[in-house]
Amino acid sequence: MAEIFWGVIWPVIVLAAATVAIVVPLLLAVAYLTYAERKIIAAMQLRQGPMFVGPYGLLQPIADGLKLFFKETVVPTRANKGVFVLAPMITFILALIGWAVIPFGDGLVLADINVGVLYLFAVSSLGVYGIVMAGWASNSRYAFLGALRSSAQMVSYEISMGLIIINVLMTAGSLNLSEIVRAQAEHGWYALWHFPMFMIFLVSIIAETNRLPFDLPEDEASLVTGYNVEYSSMTFALFFLGEYANMILMSAIATILFLGGWLPPLEMAPFTWIPGPVWFFLKVAAVLFVYIWARATLPRYRYDQLMRLGWKVFLPLSLAWIVLTSAVLVFLDLAP
Amino acid sequence: MTGLVVGPAVPEAFLFLVATLLLGVGAFLPERRAAEVMTPVAVIVLLVTAMLVMAVGPGRAFAFGGHFVHDGFAAFLKVVALVVAAGAVLVAPGWFADERTARFEYPILALFSALGMLMMVSANSLLALYMAVELHSLPLYVMAAIKRDSLRASEAGLKYFVLGALASGLLLYGASLVYGFTGTLMFDELARAHAGAGAAPLPLGALVGLIFLVAGFAFKLAAVPFHMWTPDVYEGAPTPVVAFVAAAPKLAAVGLALRVLHEPFGAFADEWRQVIVLVALGSMILGAFAAIGQTNLKRLMAYSTIGHVGYAFVGLAAGTATGVQGVLVYMAIYAVMTLGTFACILMMRRQGRYVEAIDDLAGLSRTDPLMALALALLMFSLAGIPPLAGFFAKLYVFLAAVEAGLVWLAVVGVLTSVVGAFYYLRIVKLMYFDEPAEAFDRLRRPELQLVAAASAAFVALFLLWPTPLLSAAEAAARVLVGS
Amino acid sequence: MTAALFVFYLLAFVTVAAAVMVIAARNPVHAVLFLILAFFNSAGLLILVGAELVGMLLIVVYVGAVAVLFLFVVMMLDINFVQLREGFLQYLPVGALVGLVLLVELIMVLGTRVVPTTAAAMPRAAPEGVTNAEALGRLLYTDYFYLFQAAGVVLLVAIVGAITLTLRHRPDARRQDIAAQVRRRPQDTLEVRKVRPRSGI
Repeated sequence: MAEIFWGVIWPVIVLAAATVAIVVPLLLAVAYLTYAERKIIAAMQLRQGPMFVGPYGLLQPIADGLKLFFKETVVPTRANKGVFVLAPMITFILALIGWAVIPFGDGLVLADINVGVLYLFAVSSLGVYGIVMAGWASNSRYAFLGALRSSAQMVSYEISMGLIIINVLMTAGSLNLSEIVRAQAEHGWYALWHFPMFMIFLVSIIAETNRLPFDLPEDEASLVTGYNVEYSSMTFALFFLGEYANMILMSAIATILFLGGWLPPLEMAPFTWIPGPVWFFLKVAAVLFVYIWARATLPRYRYDQLMRLGWKVFLPLSLAWIVLTSAVLVFLDLAP
Repeated sequence: MTGLVVGPAVPEAFLFLVATLLLGVGAFLPERRAAEVMTPVAVIVLLVTAMLVMAVGPGRAFAFGGHFVHDGFAAFLKVVALVVAAGAVLVAPGWFADERTARFEYPILALFSALGMLMMVSANSLLALYMAVELHSLPLYVMAAIKRDSLRASEAGLKYFVLGALASGLLLYGASLVYGFTGTLMFDELARAHAGAGAAPLPLGALVGLIFLVAGFAFKLAAVPFHMWTPDVYEGAPTPVVAFVAAAPKLAAVGLALRVLHEPFGAFADEWRQVIVLVALGSMILGAFAAIGQTNLKRLMAYSTIGHVGYAFVGLAAGTATGVQGVLVYMAIYAVMTLGTFACILMMRRQGRYVEAIDDLAGLSRTDPLMALALALLMFSLAGIPPLAGFFAKLYVFLAAVEAGLVWLAVVGVLTSVVGAFYYLRIVKLMYFDEPAEAFDRLRRPELQLVAAASAAFVALFLLWPTPLLSAAEAAARVLVGS
Repeated sequence: MTAALFVFYLLAFVTVAAAVMVIAARNPVHAVLFLILAFFNSAGLLILVGAELVGMLLIVVYVGAVAVLFLFVVMMLDINFVQLREGFLQYLPVGALVGLVLLVELIMVLGTRVVPTTAAAMPRAAPEGVTNAEALGRLLYTDYFYLFQAAGVVLLVAIVGAITLTLRHRPDARRQDIAAQVRRRPQDTLEVRKVRPRSGI
């Protein structure tokens, strides 16, 4: 009996606890990311942002969440009910399961698998499904158009993202995320070595998460918010949470691949006093700030411009960089 | 296996690199200019590749860890296929310019297809075989549909694609069965494992796989019972594309079939012979009888192809060195004849529109005696009338069959040739004894005249100087069948 | 061991059930979604035997890219599938026959090859001490380099073919020319004129 407990049940309990320990702070982070977004944009536009719920509007996200929880969920009559309800769940779950392989610090990771990068890539490539299913199941033109736009966009930018990641993999010589961070302790941050790729990666993750200035799937002006027009209350909240959780996930990926994960910027006294996970969160926050900054300052792209940027600029650039990287690695005999 | 040996595959590497380079060049040139420049460049590239093949020499050599083999047999087929392909590319641009579908991608696709053909005859493993077949046929589908505003051409392209994909599926299924039962992909290991006295017999499943492989080859070669796509594709696709499809790829596919049947499965000739005999019989009979009622010249050529593939399979059924030699000679002569005929068909333009009905040829001897002469020679040769090249082609194949004890098959072959002669001769009769129809436009297309004249001269004068082709084919056949 | 066995049966069962639903589902979009589910569980099976790289690639390539395009096409079809399915049953005998033949052949394949029963005798997904990616790369870039390269050429031809058949340069479409936009200077297009009140230009 004890054997079964220690062999099977106990690991499951540990796993569940670890999962909860990741998911709950994550949801809180999502809630306060919306607050931060509103505050930062307000500051950039010389406004105050939310101020009334709680001190400095600090309870605003909680209030918003509660409101969404208690509203009635409306399912359109002609909608395909099963898929309609499934779609937001998929979006939300996919945004959560990616965190399983993210190392917050040295050894601080739920599942340290060998193909971590591919796992993340697979998870992010599945993100399309939630949106496409939502668009189709809503049985509405706007929603469907938004879904089509978003899937074309995500598939396009995934390609350049994949190629950029290959550069990092070649330099680090591993598909394991923790190994990639450790390699950066040796080589220096890859944001320096692969600076152009880092820039392209930042733009690509914005496009991949359908955020401004690439938020054509939910373009209010032409699509009345696109794929989630028909969604209300909790189902909408799941989309919303999924989108923001995805932003944080993508920022975490950028941090691990390019900004040295949990590593301090310099291996010297004042920096090493701060523990790794804190550095990790600071870096994620910095990337998130870029997201919000872009949203506040840039106008929306036109669709053909978006596609041109992905296929005609990023794709050839990242391909050329792969050739360059591999050539340098081979000829200078640096390949790991 | 150690290291990458590329040496024997230099012609293929050259062709690939140049084709890729041309693709880049074509994309940056202005559209019309690119289409004009690309054809002569592609022809030169094909001929240079043929020279490179000859430079590699006839010795047997392997490359890429044994997946690629180059030997005298491959060299023979490669050179002939490249020259014929160059001819087919050469005749294309006039037609495309007239039909306003000139695209620079066409010659480049032809280059890639030629690359696939070279890889087909050099394939030395089941996977290399499959890859090469895909590479040679994918450009052909695109070429068939390249006139995309025409409903018939698109239909032809789609039909070709769907049925070709089915054929690839058959090939792949056969290959996987063979692999599953024998546990190896390589041809030489297959041959070693099951050849010689006391070796293990071929498992039943591998035999089934072999049948699937043969079915795939038959599909690519338009042999009965997998011929149904041929007439529609020939009729619907643009004429220059048909000229390409009908000649060089058939050489490559026959080469592949010969290699697969003789090298890895050479010890099982008795098993596969029955299938080949059936295919040969069906193709010869259908090719002879179904062509009789045709009124469209391209459709007629489709049935002609089916029939000729049947004759080639007679030589294949013999399973001997003479049989292989016969097949090689047959296919080389067939390819030249077909190319010449299509060059003539490309000259059939009346008041700015291309015509392809047989009746349009009426009285050609009076309006254009030279073209009539060339076409008549080609038709006589296709029918197998002595002393033209087509006669010798049939002769070698039938002789090989008789030697191998397949007398009855040779007799059926002769009988169907007699039936087939009827429709070829009908064309000659139309040209020489019927009231002239309106004359064709005077085309200023020296390349068409060159190809038509060269192939007509080849079939007419083959008798005088047959040794180079025959001895080359014999040497090639020796490589494959040994002694 | 029992846990792995349980996971195996779960994944295998869902794979088969989803595959059945692919052909049984009335709604074609549901069929594609079940296909995706089947892909997913097959990837799970691959990971279970230790072929993690192939499993992930299955998801990235098939689920992330190929099935999305399937879904695209199927969603935009406006076909009455109930009508399409009429007379479906008349093909059943032929289909059943083909299926039976394939089944017999598969059994024959398995019959001649000895299936190892102990775990030690099973072929390994990767040699000891080498990651999946490395093991695969070593094979792909040495023994199978030729085929790998040939596959690349086939894909290149597919791209060229697709572009050849679909790209149209419509003369009336106005395309963005970024170089021209950047090259434009104010003095090329702007003209500053003094306009006196009530006189017009």
